[in-house]
Parts: sequence; structure tokens; C-alpha cells
Amino acid sequence: MNSQIFHPFVLPFVLGMAFVLTYCVVGLLRVIGQLSKDDRKKFWRSLVTPKTAWANIRDIVGDCLFHVKIWKRNPVLGYMHTAIAFGWFMIIVIGHIMLFTLKPLEGVDVEGFPRMFTNFYYPIFFKYFAEETPVFAFLMDFFLLMIISGILIAVVKKIHSKIVGVKRIMHFGFADNMIRFALWTIFPFRLIAEKTNIMAFWWLYSIDLFVFMFMLPFTRYMHIPTEALFILLRHAGLKPREPRKGYALAQIYSCPSCGLCIDACPMSVNDKNSGNTSAYFMKRLRNGDKEESQRIAETCMQCGKCVAVCPVSIESCDIKMSQREAVPYAINSDHSYLDAYESNETSNASVLYFAGCMTQLTPKIMRAMKQIMEAAGEKYEFMDKDGGVCCGRPMLLSGKTVEAQAMMAKNTELIKKSGAKRLVLSCPICYKVFKEEYQLEGIEILHHTQYIDELIKQGKLKVDKNGTNYVYHDPCELGRAFGVYDEPREVIESIGNLRKAKSEKELSICCGGSLGSFKLTQQERDEITANSVNDLMYNNPDEIVTACPLCLKTFARKAPVAVKDIAEVVATNLI
Amino acid sequence: MKENILIIGGGAAGMEAATQLHKMGLNPIIVEKSEALGGHIAQWDRLFPAFHPAKDVVEQMLDNVKDIKTYLNTEVTDIQRNNDGFHAVLSNNETIDAKAVILATGFDVFKAERKQEYGYGIYNNVITSVELEEFFRTGKDERINHPKKIGFVHCVGARDVKVCNTYCSKVCCTTALKQACEIKEVFPDAEVYTFYMDLRMFGLGYEDLYLKSQKDFDVKCVRGRVCEVSEDMDGKIVIKAEDTLFGKPLKMTLDLLVLMCSMEKNKSIDAIQQKLGIANNSDGFMQNKDMYLGMNDTAQEGVFVAGACTAPKSLPDTIGEARSVAVEVYNYLNK
Amino acid sequence: MDFGFCLSPSSHVKMDNVDLTTFNRLKETNPDINTCIACGSCTATCTAGHFTEMSFRRLLLMLQRGKEDEAKKMIQRCMLCGKCTLVCSRGINIRKILLDITR
Repeated sequence: MNSQIFHPFVLPFVLGMAFVLTYCVVGLLRVIGQLSKDDRKKFWRSLVTPKTAWANIRDIVGDCLFHVKIWKRNPVLGYMHTAIAFGWFMIIVIGHIMLFTLKPLEGVDVEGFPRMFTNFYYPIFFKYFAEETPVFAFLMDFFLLMIISGILIAVVKKIHSKIVGVKRIMHFGFADNMIRFALWTIFPFRLIAEKTNIMAFWWLYSIDLFVFMFMLPFTRYMHIPTEALFILLRHAGLKPREPRKGYALAQIYSCPSCGLCIDACPMSVNDKNSGNTSAYFMKRLRNGDKEESQRIAETCMQCGKCVAVCPVSIESCDIKMSQREAVPYAINSDHSYLDAYESNETSNASVLYFAGCMTQLTPKIMRAMKQIMEAAGEKYEFMDKDGGVCCGRPMLLSGKTVEAQAMMAKNTELIKKSGAKRLVLSCPICYKVFKEEYQLEGIEILHHTQYIDELIKQGKLKVDKNGTNYVYHDPCELGRAFGVYDEPREVIESIGNLRKAKSEKELSICCGGSLGSFKLTQQERDEITANSVNDLMYNNPDEIVTACPLCLKTFARKAPVAVKDIAEVVATNLI
Repeated sequence: MKENILIIGGGAAGMEAATQLHKMGLNPIIVEKSEALGGHIAQWDRLFPAFHPAKDVVEQMLDNVKDIKTYLNTEVTDIQRNNDGFHAVLSNNETIDAKAVILATGFDVFKAERKQEYGYGIYNNVITSVELEEFFRTGKDERINHPKKIGFVHCVGARDVKVCNTYCSKVCCTTALKQACEIKEVFPDAEVYTFYMDLRMFGLGYEDLYLKSQKDFDVKCVRGRVCEVSEDMDGKIVIKAEDTLFGKPLKMTLDLLVLMCSMEKNKSIDAIQQKLGIANNSDGFMQNKDMYLGMNDTAQEGVFVAGACTAPKSLPDTIGEARSVAVEVYNYLNK
Repeated sequence: MDFGFCLSPSSHVKMDNVDLTTFNRLKETNPDINTCIACGSCTATCTAGHFTEMSFRRLLLMLQRGKEDEAKKMIQRCMLCGKCTLVCSRGINIRKILLDITR
């Protein structure tokens, strides 16, 4: 212990800290200032609404402090991150608590060095200035060693990521590599400084802190201060409106570039495409690389798996959509011709079936649905048996939000006119847009998996049990988007044996046919399809079952066994 | 002792190669997995371009091979190279030692179900070209019931990335016109349409066949690919295509739709092919050494190929290759 | 009055000075644009083509024949549903090309 109250080596730390605090305050004001008026109102309200306030506290503690989502994804990484972040947090907290154990130092007030100022750096360099009581000394050493154990795992991950269960890791530029090096060395330096009290190490420790904090705003470590804000904004129910402003900006800075989405992304099956994953997209946005972020946004299939695995819950798909919306177009659509289109069918059907564009190309699904509805004795009507109007989602996916409205308005009109109370869809692409964008009050919207499940449970459909082994592929827009996981599985189990795929439910791999991507070539899509098929064939099923016409067509090209829609499986096993 | 040549496949290529090798004084052995020799051609009624009965050709070929050792209902289950050629194990547990192997395994017909939008296996009135030929041969098919309007779809499973076959299947254009004429003969009142992209009438007498189909049979050719098939209330077939020459999409109701299915590599030989070390070419057929002077040779010495196992081929092409493979094998043994 | 000749514009496509700017721009990012065999599948299946003159096959030709104005008018009808891409036997990424044209 040195009975000093100041040493110049604290200056780098003080400078760095001051810088980062200023930056955060400015950043916070900027993000909130960029929110639209409505969004801002929503945000303030969410802070005082008990339900969201509770969710805020729960997630800030759970995610920012204990990293529950990483633990769930990969316990080794969970420990790594918790060791470093939680350990560091505890060191800071304990450091501050220790301030209270300090006896007033002689001469402090005399020399005009107020305690308020020393409190700023005392907890960081405590051992240099004061004596730790044994309990605190133990705790400090414990957490310091915990951090160092976390750093050791991080080093292993960097050198050979497969040991910790990660295939592909992010590749960083100079700044990110340098700050990471600073982070890794902060704690060993502190340990050495504390144990040996060699001046050079106190200096190194402080300079490391300076480097870390000075570079923080320009690197991925900005997620440390931003994530809490992002959680607040997310719980306020906001949607990113512009790719680099307001809510999206908070998300950009919250992305820790952990790279968990790289392995998850279906495109990564080709290493060349792993640069098109969300982690890189967010990095490009952070760096202001408009061209690349635009390209990645248009390559993405919008399958949502990156969002499902993200430990921070970054809504990268939504940000990519806002990026697409930001593109100016020279020619706008004109769908005024739809005004003249009238459906001449009048019926008193209670169920309206909308096959959708894609299902027109898979007549087996349409025929199966017809058989099913007839067998169940339903009063039904086909809305687009002679070719209908597109649901509008493909147009929305291109970012042309306004131009999708004419189609949606026409379909809404046709559906309302039919008088049906239920709308059954075969295509999850349609299902998503009908569920999210259409204003169809009083009309129940169902995907045929849900509808068939209901008919079987009500006893309206009777199916034969056979010994076929099926595997079910979750279409992205049905599974991850709406959590329709159980209905199709229950339907299949009532007919045959359901085998598990290697990755299921929220981890299921996109078929590769997605309308979400504009830029993927046929060959790149084929690679994704082959990988997805392999995953489905994990337990050697006799047949692959899916619930999306696009998945069906895509898989049929590459699968070694028959690929069927769930409706077809049910229709052929009706009693 | 005469030298053994193992010929896998007893279709046109296998039989003709065996015939020629036999004449050269060698000892060809045919291993055929089905119950009869003749391959696809034995299932055919008449041949293009001149409506020659396939039976005549097949019968003569069968007569040519009557003295040749033939295994029916038999497959090669294992094959290994030894010092003196090849040692093959058959599914009946017999073994054959041969100096050379000829792969004459031919093709499989594209499974029309794979092109779901054409409705094969969904709608009753959609049949394949093979089934139509069967109808001509036997006169029996419940689905063909005095059709008034008949459509032929070209390139089903050919020139189509979506089914992973980018090649032209070579014989379907001519076959389509041959069958179009024939069905007009059976049902003179019917209107017959073919939906084509290019009419590839490249061989001797093929263009005459085309002219005949126009002059004598009034076969109507529409340039455009059928892309959707559905069924109307009466169970008739409704097709959608674009009449690309007129520049407008068209819709048409038909009583019968015939899909001109392409040729694909016969995949039942894949395991043996792998054991022999023969790769596939970009079309998924067997890779020969060179398309001009080494069409019967493969990357493996002593292993030869003939017929439709290397690419879609017409019967004259196949017979020509079968004869040339015999010469190649003869020269190889006398090297 | 009869001058013995008339001044109605020639209906020929002027192949000597066709403006291929748009087509060439598309070709750069979509090289497979040239693999089209004009089978008409895209047109036959087109959702918008059910109501209008929309035809991707013709659209491509228009761009290759310097009829850019007609092409730009036609493309406004497109619903971007992607059926054309799904049926294209050449595997051309039609949906992307359609989007690129409107840029």
C-alpha cells in the first residue's frame, strides 16, 4: 500500500472514462432524437408501464448481466462471456463498495484533493492506494481469476474455435483486433500489478484501460453500454424505420459481433457466403458501408434464424427490410388495373381457401386440400382457382411497401365480399402477410397445418395410422415467424412416426428457395438446399413432409426420398 | 480358349455389341437385370422416322444373340480388377472373369411426377410418352378414351434447370411428332397440338416426318412451354402456356396430355460404375474419354461404354456405337 | 392532296442504332440473362399477366430491341410474386432482373 492519494498513472484511465461517458450521453440523445414522434411517445410510455418496466428489468439483469441467452445457445461461450463481463462488473461493484471501508486518509482534505475525485479512480486501482480487507481481497482475486479464465477460453476460441463448438468466427479489422488485445491484457496486467506492485504494470494496466475505452465507440465493444438501451427500446415495441437511425442505430451498436449467427445462417454452407451473414451486415452498417450493407440486405433470405439464435435479440431481418425500403426506384408500379377485377363467384361458404401463387404450381396441395375439406364436410370456396391476386408479401420483401397496398386492398375486398369467416392458406408466405399486414377483422386466418390439426381434433377428419417414418421441415415463415411448431407435428404423429431432423423448430434450416433473397444464384441456393436436406435426412426418414409449396418444390429437386406437403400426406391417409 | 467380355445391359447397345464381338471370335457375356433382352426398344411400338415396327428390329437382334451366353434377371453385384482383367460377382452368386467390360446400361425415363406442375400422377388424363407407346402397342389404356383434343408437351425433364437436367434429350421432338401422327391415325377426329420450344429434326428422314405431320395429319405446333396444368369441373385438363409466336399467354382445355419424358442416366448401375472408377459428365451420364475419337473409351483401361449410358441417343446412334465398341474391344485385346 | 408518298414512320426495329444501355446494365449483374430460350413459361404463369399484357419474355426482347419506353410501361404491372423465377427452366433470377430494371 502506498499512502498517496494520486499518481499520474491513473490519468489514462480517467481520460478514457471521461471520453466514453461523454460519447454515450451524446449517443443516447442522438438515438432518442432520431426516433419518430410516435416512437418516442411509445418509448417514454413503456418506461412507466408496469408490464414493460418489469420486462426491462428482467432482461437487463438476465441478458446484460448473466447472459442467459448465450448460456442457452452454448454453455462454454456462456461461461466465457459471463466470466469476463460479470466478473468485471463485480470487480467494479466491489471496488466501489470498498470505498466505504476506507478510513479518511490523512491530509486528503488539507491538500484540497476532494474524496469525490479520488472516488473516480480509487475502485479501479484500489490496491495501490489502500488496503483491502481480507474478505474483499478474496472476492477481488476470485473475480479477477474468473475473468482470466474467461479470457483463456476466448484465446482458445480465437485459435481453434471448434473446441468450443463454433465452426466459423468473425474476422475483424485492425481496430477490433487491437481493442480485443487490450481487453485480454487488462486483467493479467492488473493481477501482476496488484501482486508485485511494479510501477510499469500499473501504467500498462491504466493505458490498456485507456485504449479500451477510447476505442470502444468505434468497435463492437460498444454493445456493452448500448445493450441496455436497446432492451428498453425493444420492449417499447418499436420497428426500425431507417437502417442507420434511431432504433436501428441502437441495434447496430448493440451487436457484439459474436458471430453466433454465422454458423446459424443457411448461407454459410458456402464459406464464400459467410460474409453475407447478419454479424457482417451489422458491422457494415456500423462502418457506414452503404453499398455492402445494401448488397447483404438483398442477398439475405429473411429466414430469421439469425434473429432466433442472437443472444442480444438483434432484429437484423427488420433492419435489412428497412435497408431495402431505403432504396430509391426510378419506376414505380401501377396496379390500377386491379380495380376492374371482380370475383364473379358468390357463395355462402364459411371457409375461404386461398392457394396463392406458389401453390398454383403445386397442384397436389390444392387437390389434397379439396379432398380434405370435402371429407370434413366443410362449406368451402376456392378464392383463386382461376389465378388470383398476389398476396403482396413478395412486393413487401423488395422494400416496396407502398406498392404492395393495391394488391392487399384488392384481396381484402374479395375476402370481405365472400362473407366467409375463416381464411385458410397453404402458403406460409401469404400467411405471414395476411396475419401481419391485412386488416381482416372478424375473419380467422389459418394456415392449413393449423386447420387440418383442428379438423382432426374435432373428429371431422379420420386418418389411418401407418408405419411410415416422416420428418417435418419447419417453413421459416410458419415456424420461426409464428411458432406454428406443434400443429403439424401432431398431425403427422396421428398418421405415422415422426423422426427428428438434426435441427428443428426455431433452428430449422431454410430450404434455400426463399423469396426473401434477390441476389442468391441458383447454384448458391442449391448448396443451401442440399445442406438442409442432409439435416432432414439425419434420422433416415422415409419421407420429408413440409407445409410450404416453395419448400416442397425446392426440396423435390435435391431430396433422396419423396417430399410431400402435409395436406397431401393427410389426404392420402383419410379413412 | 476364347476371351470373355462382360457386357452389362442387354438392350440395343448390349445386344449389338455382343453380336459383333461374337462374330469376331470373342466370347461376350450379357448380364441383363430384367427378365428379357431388348431394353426400352422392346417396349416400343414403331420407330421414327418411318413408322418401322420396333418388333422387327428387336427380333432380329434377339436372333443375332441366341448363341451368346446371357444372364437374365441378374445384376452385377461386385466387380474387381485383377491381373488378367476383371472379376465380377453376379446376383446369382456366379462369377465371371472377363478381359474387358462394356457398360451398355442405357437410360432411365424421367419420372414425370418430378415435374409436379404438369400434374402427372395427379390428374388422370396426363400420361407419358412411354405409356402412349404402350397404348399403341397393346391398344389398352383406360385413360385414353376417345380424346377429342390432345396435347404433347416437349422437353419434360430436359433443358430444365429446375429438375437438374440441362441437356436436350435428342429423341423427344421426333418421337412427339411420330406419336402425334399415330394418335391421329387412331383418333382421326382429334385435334392434336404439340407444345415445343425448338423442333430438333436433325436426322435422315426426320424433316420428312415433320412435313408429313403437317400435310397428312394436321398436327398443330405451338411454340411455347406448358407451365401449369390443372383440372376443370368435368375432369378435363386445362393447360397454360404462352404462344410465343403470337405473343400471348394461352389457356386450353384438353382430353389428354402426353408428356415427352426425357432420358436420364440409368442410376441402378451407380455402385458398379463407382467401383470401376468411371465418373459422370456434367449431364449426369457416364463420362467417356473423348467425344470424337474416344467415345467408347473411359478413364479406366479395359472398361468401355456404348449407347445411351453416356448421353441420350437414338436407336441408329446406339447401334453405331455398339458396333464401334466391338472394334475398340477387339483392338484392345490384340494390343 | 396526294404527294405520291406518305410520311408514316417505318415500323422496322432500327437494329443499326439500338440503345442497349439498360440491357447491358442488367447483363453485367445478371449474366444468365442471355440463356433465355424464350419458352414463354414466365409469361404463361405470370400472375399479373392474368390481368394485363405483362410478359417477361417480351420485356427482355423489348430491351434488346431498343423499346425501352414500352418495357418501362409494361414492368409497372409486375406484382413481383416470383412465379416466373420458379418456373424458369433456365434458372434465370427473373425476380431480381425485374427489380433491377425499375432502379
